[in-house]
Amino acid sequence: MDVPREESASDFPIRCFSCGSVIGHLYEEYQKKLKEGKSSKEALDELGIERYCCRRMFITHKSVLKELSRFHGAVG
Amino acid sequence: MKPKIEILEESDFKIRFILKNVSPALANSFRRAMKAEVPTLAVDYVDFYVNSSYLYDEILAHRLGMLPIKTDLEKFNMQNECVCGGEGCPNCQISFRLNVEGPKVVYSEDFISDDPEIVFAIDNIPVLELFEGQQLMLEAVARLGTGREHAKFQPVSVCAYKIIPEIEITEDCTLCKDCIEACPRDVLEAGGDKIAVKDVLNCSLCMECIKVCEQNAIKVNETNNFLFTVEATGALPLRVVMRKALEILRSKAEEMNKIIEEIQ
Ligand code: SF4
Ligand code: SF4
Ligand SMILES: [Zn+2]
Ligand SMILES: [Zn+2]
Repeated sequence: MDVPREESASDFPIRCFSCGSVIGHLYEEYQKKLKEGKSSKEALDELGIERYCCRRMFITHKSVLKELSRFHGAVG
Repeated sequence: MKPKIEILEESDFKIRFILKNVSPALANSFRRAMKAEVPTLAVDYVDFYVNSSYLYDEILAHRLGMLPIKTDLEKFNMQNECVCGGEGCPNCQISFRLNVEGPKVVYSEDFISDDPEIVFAIDNIPVLELFEGQQLMLEAVARLGTGREHAKFQPVSVCAYKIIPEIEITEDCTLCKDCIEACPRDVLEAGGDKIAVKDVLNCSLCMECIKVCEQNAIKVNETNNFLFTVEATGALPLRVVMRKALEILRSKAEEMNKIIEEIQ
């Protein structure tokens, strides 16, 4: 099965689960930096995400919407 | 000595300051007042007219609640103190409307507010994605609330303090430098013929230096100074959060005074 590598930002959590800091608007920028060839560490440092609670939100995000959208139009 | 605030760093979303000459009880009530007593607006009730997106109404309502709203505390009343008696009126709540069709990514800026000045504080937060043929029509109602009730009403995300210690090195020191090695925060340094304190604000009071010192020459004493780190969500400017928190503390103290006078 080919799993899409590119993650969608549209269902990325708006707040960090642990500290409540607003991070939703930064995911698209994070993806852009990864595409430029930067590592996760470099990208997060540049975005000013300091705490590891917030950093894990970025590196572990898996988009459910993106998965579902592969079947869009298949039913109904 | 009088309590004093000394600001070290300040930006729109983060502030670091020292609160001087206060008891731990006062420092902690200040922290708790900023977190749990200062009111902000947040979406609390959502009417869905059409939702054919992939996400359930409840998930969307929760995501909307997480969006920080630029709050004007002068314009709104707490719902339980409002003239409407808690039913909801323009003095205590505000609506955000949305009517969109896919394919489209819905951002926080796509919502139309009743009041052009009360908008979502950050305008490029993706809320959800609509695909071909999907539609979303809703009205989200925001009201004032406090962090005591729900974390979405908190005006701050991180709000924490630590004691700033006083590190004392006595004459028994043999300059073995074990404490410099042991310190995980790089607080101490060798300054010529004695051990010097390089960066006392970085000290975490872990007491490792005391454990390794065979001469018992180093002491880490607690003081009445506290280092605060506070981060905003965008709902209110940090200075307003601090001032409002102190006002609330004062009014609570006055209330307490009155109760004490009555029972005397
Ligand atoms: S460990 Fe104790 S004796 Fe050794 S340098 Fe530090 S304070 Fe001095
Ligand atoms: S208490 Fe811990 S952090 Fe502070 S100076 Fe000693 S070893 Fe370093
Ligand atoms: Zn976090
Ligand atoms: Zn009202």
